[in-house]
Parts: sequence; C-alpha cells; structure tokens
Amino acid sequence: MNEFTRKNALSVKCNHCQIAFKNEIMIEENNLFFCCKGCQSVYYLLQDEDLGSFYNKLGSKTLASVKKYEKNDLNNFDEDSFFSNYVKETQEGFSHIDLIIEGIHCAACIWLNEKILFETDGIIEAKINFTNNKARIIFDKNEIKLSSIISKIRSIGYDAYAYEVSLADENASEAKKDYFIRMMVAVFSSVNIMMLGVAKYTGFFTGIDDDIKHMIHMAEFILCTPVLFYSGSVFFKGAYYALKNKIINMDFLVCSGAGLSYVYSLYILLGGAGESYFDSVSMIITFVLVGKYLEVIGKKSALDTLDTIKSKVPLFATLVKKDGKKVVAIAEIKVGDVLELKTGEQACVDGELLAYESSFDETALSGESLSVDKKEKDPIYSSSINLGSLIQYKALKTYEKSTLNSIVVLLEDSLNHKPKIEEKANEFSKVFSLLVLGIALGTFFIWYFLGLSMGFSYGNISVFEKSFIVAISVIVIACPCALALATPMASLIGISSLAKKGLLFKEAKYIEEMAKADVMVLDKTGTLTNGLLSVKDFKLSNNNIFHLNLMYSLVDSSTHPISKALKKYLEEKYSDLEYLKIDKIKNINGKGLSAFYVNIKKESFELLGGSSSLLKEHNISTSFKSSSSEYIFCINKEVFACVTLEDELKDDAKDFIAYTKKNNIKTVILSGDNIKVVEKIAKELDIKEFYGNINPIEKANYIKGLKEQNKRVIMVGDGVNDALALSYANVSIVMKSGTDIAISVSDIVILNNSLKALKDALILSKRTYFFIKQNLLISLVYNMITIPLAVFGLVIPLVAALSMSLSSLIVVLNSLRIKNKG
Amino acid sequence: MISDTLFMMLFVGLFLSFIILGFFIWGAKTGQFDDTSKMMDGLLFDSEDDLNDAVKKEKKISEAKNKFKNSK
Repeated sequence: MNEFTRKNALSVKCNHCQIAFKNEIMIEENNLFFCCKGCQSVYYLLQDEDLGSFYNKLGSKTLASVKKYEKNDLNNFDEDSFFSNYVKETQEGFSHIDLIIEGIHCAACIWLNEKILFETDGIIEAKINFTNNKARIIFDKNEIKLSSIISKIRSIGYDAYAYEVSLADENASEAKKDYFIRMMVAVFSSVNIMMLGVAKYTGFFTGIDDDIKHMIHMAEFILCTPVLFYSGSVFFKGAYYALKNKIINMDFLVCSGAGLSYVYSLYILLGGAGESYFDSVSMIITFVLVGKYLEVIGKKSALDTLDTIKSKVPLFATLVKKDGKKVVAIAEIKVGDVLELKTGEQACVDGELLAYESSFDETALSGESLSVDKKEKDPIYSSSINLGSLIQYKALKTYEKSTLNSIVVLLEDSLNHKPKIEEKANEFSKVFSLLVLGIALGTFFIWYFLGLSMGFSYGNISVFEKSFIVAISVIVIACPCALALATPMASLIGISSLAKKGLLFKEAKYIEEMAKADVMVLDKTGTLTNGLLSVKDFKLSNNNIFHLNLMYSLVDSSTHPISKALKKYLEEKYSDLEYLKIDKIKNINGKGLSAFYVNIKKESFELLGGSSSLLKEHNISTSFKSSSSEYIFCINKEVFACVTLEDELKDDAKDFIAYTKKNNIKTVILSGDNIKVVEKIAKELDIKEFYGNINPIEKANYIKGLKEQNKRVIMVGDGVNDALALSYANVSIVMKSGTDIAISVSDIVILNNSLKALKDALILSKRTYFFIKQNLLISLVYNMITIPLAVFGLVIPLVAALSMSLSSLIVVLNSLRIKNKG
Repeated sequence: MISDTLFMMLFVGLFLSFIILGFFIWGAKTGQFDDTSKMMDGLLFDSEDDLNDAVKKEKKISEAKNKFKNSK
C-alpha cells in the first residue's frame, strides 16, 4: 500500500487479526498496522519465533482482536488442589492435562497453538481437536510448570480452561469412532454391490448365463457378509438385549428382515434356483446405520457443550478474612464467607453485595445485554460478571446450591435424558413390519403342514424348501425397503427445501413434532425483537457540529450497547462527523462515561454521557424523562443531547404471530426482561400470555408444566438463559445470532434470524408430514395387493425382485413432490 | 473363456478394494479421522516445512521417552 492510498483509506486491516479498523485508531509502526497492543505483541512474538507463515495459512479469514489478559490467576494453576484434580499421569509416566482452548477460528489457529506448544521445552505432545476445541497436552512436570503452559497459550492471544474428562465423554468418543468404521465398511460394500447389481438386473432383460450370475452372487456374498455380521452386529446386540427384556424394537425388525433374506440368499447361492437378495440386505443395514451414526454424533456434541459450560465455571475465589486474603477452591466456600470480586470476574456462588455499588452483566441468567446496577444488600447471582470496580460480597449459598451449578446439573440431566419423541410414522412401520413377519411365519407353517398332510410334491424340491421360499417371498415383496424409505425420503426432501429457506434441522424427526405442535414459547430479546437498541427519539439543544463531534468521539470509545447504537445512528444521520482525540476517558460503574477534550487554543471541555442517575450524581438537573433506555450527553455541565433508545420488533413479527393464530398455535412470551417492557411488546403483537422477570430455571419449569398437560411445545430462544428451557421443549429453535451453547442444545437453527423463516418452517413441516403419511399409505395399499399373491405362492422370484425396486421408486418419486410449490 | 476373464477381473478388483478398505480402517483406528473439521483442512498443511515438523515431533517424543526411562 503506498503512502497516498494509505492516507486516504478510511480503514486499514490490522496486521495480526486482519479486521479492518479506522485509520486514526490504528497503532502504526514500520508500515505495519495494529488495532491494539495485544495484536501488536502477538505479531512480533510470531515473527521472533519464526512462525510468520501463520498469516499465509490464515488466508482471507479474520481473527478476533487480541485481548490483553489481565487475569492474575496464573498461580492458581500451580496449586496442589488444581493439579491433583486435572492433571493425570500417562502410561509412560508423563503428565497430561485436558484443556478447552478459547478463540480458535480456523485450522491455522490450531496449527499455531500446536506449534508454539510443541516448541516449548518440557511439552512432549500437544494435540488440539478442531471440532470441539479440546486439547490434550502431555508434558514433563519436572521441566515445565502448568502455569507456564497456560501463559504460553495466552501470549499468542488465546485462552485455555481446564476440564475434567468424563467417562461418558470417553465412551462417546469411542462409540463415534466405532460407528464411523462400521458405517464406512457398510457404505463401501453397498456401493460395490450396487455396481454388481447393475449387471445382474440388466441380465433380467437381456438374459444372463447361469455361471456369470452365480459369479455375481458369489461376489455379492463376499461383500455382504461383513456388512451383516460386522456393521450389523450392533443391531443383533440391540435386538438381543431388547428381547431379553421382552421388548420388540426396530433393531429386531432390521435383524429379522436382513437375517432371513441373507439366509435365503445363501441357500440360493449354494445351489437353489432363484434370485438372491444380498443387495437389499446390505442396503437396509447401511441406511439404518447412517441414521444411528448421526445420533451418536449428536450425543457426542451434546457432551462437548457440557464440558465447555463446565470449564467456564470459575475454579477459585478470593476469600477475605480478618487476617488477610486467601485463594480457595469454590467447593470450600461456606455460607457467610466474605468474597472479593475484581473487575471482569465471574461470581461463583449466590450472595449479597456488601461494599460499594457496581454494575453486573447478567446475560447468562436474563438474556439481556444491558448491565444491571446493584447497591449494598442487593442479591448477586452466580455466573454474573462484575463490570464495575472491586467489590466484596457475602456468600448466601454454597457452590453446590448456587444458581450456576444447578443450571449445569439440570442441563446435564436433560441432555442425558432428552425425552424420546415417539414418532407416529415409525411406530406405524413397526407394527406393520411385525404383521408382515407374522404373515410370513404363518404362511410357512400352513404351506409346510398342508403340504405334508396332503402329500404335495414340487418337482425336485422338498415341501420344506417350497414353504421356505414362499415365506421369504412374502417378506421380500412386502419390501422393508419401501417402508423403511417412506419416512426418511420425505424427511430428506423436506429438510433440504427447508435448508434453502435458511433453516437447519439437526434431525429429521423434528419435522413431525413441528407439524403437530400446539404451543409456541418465544423469548423476547433477540427472537421477537432485534436484540439491539435503536434510537427512537433524538433531541439536541443546538446544531453545533463541533459538539456533535465530541459526542461521536465519546460514544466511539465504548462498547456498551447504548454507545454502539448511538454511534450507528450518528454515522447514518451525519456524514461529516470527525473523530476528535479525547482523553482521560473514565467508565463510571456502567452508568456512563466521562472524558476531557482540549482544543488547539488550550480550551478544555468536560464531557459526560450516560443515564439520568449519573447526571444527578454530578448535580446536573434535567427535565428529560424516558420510559425505556436513555442517554444524556453534557458538555461542561450543560445538557446538549437527550436520546431515547428502544429495542425494536423484528419486521416480520406481526405477520408471524398472525399465522400462528390462524393455525391454532398458542403463543407465549417468556422473558428475563422487565415485565413492563414485555407487556408493551405483547400488546403490540396481541399476545395474551406473557411473563417477565423470570430466571432460566423458572423458564424450564414452565415448559415442563406445559408438557405435563400433554402439550407439544416449541421453544424459540437465543441466549444461555434459554438453554435449559430449550433442552426441555419438544422442539427447540435457536436464531443463528444466539450463543453457542443455545445453538448446540437446539434442534433447529434459523440461519437468517428472521421470523419469516420460522413461519416457513411451520408450513413446510406440515407439508412434509403430510407426504410422510401419504408415502406410508402408498406402501400399505401396495402391500395389500401383493402380499396375498405372495402368500398363495403366485409370485415368481423375478417379479418379487422387480416389485421391490418399483415400490421404492414410487416412494422416492412421491417424496420429490414436496419440492413443488411452497 | 469370457467368464474366466470376468471372474479374474472381478475377484482381483474385490481383493484390491478390500486392501484399500483395510488401510482406511487402519487410518480410522489410529485416529486420523477423529477430527472431521481438521481433516478437511489437512490439505493446507502439507508443505515441506510441515513434513519436517512431523519428523521433529516424532523425534522429540522418542527422545523424551528415552530420557525418562534412563532417569528412572
């Protein structure tokens, strides 16, 4: 970039994090630009360590700008209690620790972390998983301290949290790997069998030599055997344990269908005349196994989420005693203990504020991004973050009984026992398949005993063989394929059309639940509203552009939601704003900001911006009053601007609520926000039932209550505070703008954050469910015609094989119709 | 004659593909497919430097193990 363009460019990319910022605020050094000290130090560190190629590997991606870690908790990592809890010994005698790395964006981040750790003396191996950001570091405890490992990771702009590897998590990882191999073997064999099938089925029409046909059967047998006995062994196991408990499950049906067809095909291969069905055996196993694999992955990612939440729980707290301060593990905190909380620290137990006022970020509990001001004796909830100055608070509950821990425990519980959705469609095929098996068995006995008592003879085959062939043909023609395909095929098409509209379904079964839902519970902030403040009312005492510039510069220096909203508003309204260099910027306990500006004539201006209570503190009187968020800006103690800000409804909210009314879906608003704000929104949308000021556990209990009344509940939310309620609902839907934790417990993600997509989801789910039922009806009618023919032995094997493909084809073609219209 | 040729082609083909499947299973069992997201980007980390790093890594591990054994 040459001198000319650089000066004229409005924004420049930071050389480390690659995010573009305004020219004025960048730190410039030897033609390099940095957005902050953090990025600058990481950049030079990487150059020193000869890791500059990181930026080439990064490609066009951007990183988060580096936060300078001012945490003073490094010593905690060397505490004995921490060490014995999290550090384990490997077989060779080294130590290893499991960490979750925060701040990983791309493969280059992984590369950088692994590389910098590996080049540190004492670290023997560092492996980081990109999918769940979990790292396992093997080190020699005699050569390197744990705190140095953590500080190494922090030095390059990432952060690490320790977590305990649970047995369930290890089992889930093992299961995932196991199912992956089983699935790939099944897919491999099925693909090859299908290719052989092309030759075989062409042979039906053009004629095929017996020895070549036999050869194809032989090859199919070789490919099919591992599918049934290796990949399919999970179904045999499942069926065995279910039978032991006197239950017949889907596994049993898969086993009996596939097993009997395999035995029959083997009989054909060994010399019987007819068609073999190795291809259908391997296809059935493969399809069902892919579905199982997706389930296993789902379970694993749920466990990963839990680990992430748990690792964020603070491990230590500063205890204030008469004879000084002491760092203790959170489990040791007793009721009545006085604890200290520094700026940016998270409270770990519930308690009450003792000294000083402060403001708290309670996003995790209420879902509201605005901070809450607290006075002495006000309750402090665990998981809230202190935004103000250093405070002291008294513990009123132990860690075990505190809000944060109870949420984690409940979430763990609900993820492990997520209510099984009883899928009517599958329930139907189960009953139907059992019926087919019964008919086949009956057919076999009738043919066998009738044949024996009447003394029938069938050429060169015995009565037993003939009865067996007829019974198998009943199973084959009743075609588990068409039945097995009826639901998945329609779901697949439904899900892909939903994806085009910006909806991501994690599993197909939620289509049926969506279609049948009768209550929809909505969160307010971020779901019905944009979750962002926007300026409603803007009054100025004069139109001095210099004063506007001062205000612009002050709001630009803060990341508070009000400041951000104002900055955006000013930039849109005035095109010629200039950034002025203000200094001595001070944050006054989350109530506002104060700063100074000195111009060329050495005239000093005192700037003050914030809520009316801040003005009162500074003895400035104003008549300005607002029902929602307010911002008042003063220059030299004179009011210059009064602004009212509000969270706005999404454009399509009204349309969506009208649609739910038309379809008899009851809507309810549950919000952690002030009841008055909730009431206003509810009135605007004409929603009768609404609740404000409720915490995550109350939210979850409300959903539980609805479910006890046998209601099918859809929950739509976005925040950490919704996560528990989401996990209890029949179907949980989360906006893409929501937090990671909410997204991972959700069943459906709305990618474009719009309520129109939610409406589309309801419409398309209903349509898809209709087609599932239609598909089942088609296979039922089809079977009602063909099964009697098979029972009487009127179907020749060739027709049986062809009809098998035909029935599947009809189901597939019918499902494709979902795409038309809508 | 034709069926003999077909027979040979078919079963040699099957034999070879089973060998490849064997390699795949070995890869999966040694954990090469554990991290799907990382696997997808593996292409970006295939330069000479990366190969040298991999060798260095193995060396460091075995050295550390030897050192540890000797110290016992």
